[in-house]
Amino acid sequence: MDSVLSLELVDHLQCGVALLDHQGRIQLWNHWMERYSRRSRHDVIGQRFDEVFAELAQTRFTEAIEQALRSGLSSVLTPGLNARLLPLYQHPEHVQLTQRIQALIYIAAIPRNHTCLIQVQDMTATMRRERRLRAQSTQLIATTYLDALTGVGNRRRFDRDLNLFFASALETHSSIAMLMIDIDDFKAYNDHLGHVQGDACLIQVANALRGGLRQQSESLSRYGGEEFALPLTKADRDVACVIAERLRQIVEDLKLPHPASRVGHSVTVTIGVSAMVPEPGQPSSVLTGRADLALYRAKDAGRNRCLFHDPNLASDCFQRVEQITDLPLES
Amino acid sequence: MIELTALQADALKELFNIGVGRAARSLSLMVRDEVKLSTPEVTLARPDEVATALLGSEFRQLSMVMMDFSGPFNALAILLFPERNALSIVSHMLEAQISPEELAEFEQEAMCEVGNIILNACISALADELKVEFHGELPVHYFSDTDALPFLVDPCNQTSDQMVLLLQIHLTMRQEQIQGHLIFLLSVSSLNALLEHVDAYLVHFGIS
Repeated sequence: MDSVLSLELVDHLQCGVALLDHQGRIQLWNHWMERYSRRSRHDVIGQRFDEVFAELAQTRFTEAIEQALRSGLSSVLTPGLNARLLPLYQHPEHVQLTQRIQALIYIAAIPRNHTCLIQVQDMTATMRRERRLRAQSTQLIATTYLDALTGVGNRRRFDRDLNLFFASALETHSSIAMLMIDIDDFKAYNDHLGHVQGDACLIQVANALRGGLRQQSESLSRYGGEEFALPLTKADRDVACVIAERLRQIVEDLKLPHPASRVGHSVTVTIGVSAMVPEPGQPSSVLTGRADLALYRAKDAGRNRCLFHDPNLASDCFQRVEQITDLPLES
Repeated sequence: MIELTALQADALKELFNIGVGRAARSLSLMVRDEVKLSTPEVTLARPDEVATALLGSEFRQLSMVMMDFSGPFNALAILLFPERNALSIVSHMLEAQISPEELAEFEQEAMCEVGNIILNACISALADELKVEFHGELPVHYFSDTDALPFLVDPCNQTSDQMVLLLQIHLTMRQEQIQGHLIFLLSVSSLNALLEHVDAYLVHFGIS
């Protein structure tokens, strides 16, 4: 193939091609490079890259060129790590907007005459597409963690949170607590007022509980039908009990009429509380199991109350929250 | 069967530590945070032994950056991390609040560049210290499971005539230590050529 044809072919490539001699001076600058850099080959031939683009001096780009020319080693510069490194633009109006392309750059050492071949691929569209896909998948993932009725987390979210928080508590030797929250006599509520009203009640209770969290990032999840679970990081027994009692009070204060309640005339909740500093080998189910036990004991004891499960107490391992602490409720 | 003498093993460890030290400086500049790299062990093994060791490891999915280089001896240099570790490196490098599972394809390509930097630094340290010249091809990167280590287990690949210089690599970034392997697959004649250069290097420093 004659050299004129070779050069013509290089001009037809849909990627940037530049060839540097052993001193780093530009020998070849294809049409793509002219178009994207807005520098004609007459302007750049015989010059070094950092003379054409002063900003490239002492960047990874010029270092990689040096390495190719001096040591014969080739490099790849990915757009993820070298965002908008080269002053290359798809459209003339982008120059003002400083919208540079996202480039994938290959710097290949050519051993025969110690030259260096630079190839530039425009990855802007690919990256934009991947970002859009990720945004969509992030949104979809978020949906899969939500309880469709109440808008709080669902069981999947709870399982994920519990595993994450428990592992982190184990690693940092910090306390983790669990609240299991159950609406009192909810079956009777449903039977009496119908499922539509039952759903409305679940939504109102979930919203009220959410309003009583320490911070937005805390995740309340719907554990089962009328049962909610709240894992609490960096919370010991006292903190967990204060939160539990506050949440119980918040629901009571809603004063939602409950004509079939055995506890009173309005909707109330019973809360089982557990807290522990996890030890190696302990599964997270220990924490949930204790809170669950406390919940059922609290229901047996009359509902609309919070009970803490303390495995260290030999005689009666359950304590009424009011007996544990008389800490003032946080506002 | 070629074996490394204790002196050769020490010299190689030293040479590769110079290389990964350079790579650590480059990576630190890129992430604007301290990146530490070390290679505590150098061993010589047969390709099938390496494959067996990798197949027996708990990690099934691997990230591999491969580069051919040629000179006084030729080798295929491979930087190998368990996939999970590789993605963890990339998410640290990108400083993004993105979990390794959420990394997009173009972000995963960053691993190719990280491997390129580490392998180039090692090869250029060898070249400088042994006073030789190499030519390095462009790197290729892919994720693979341990069942597909064709370069190690393929009998058609004349692996019987090849040896592997195996180095552990420890990378510490943002309080996390990540482990991987540097693998240099080279023919027996290339290995002999490398060891001759290492011996000359030792003689130069009056150690032999």
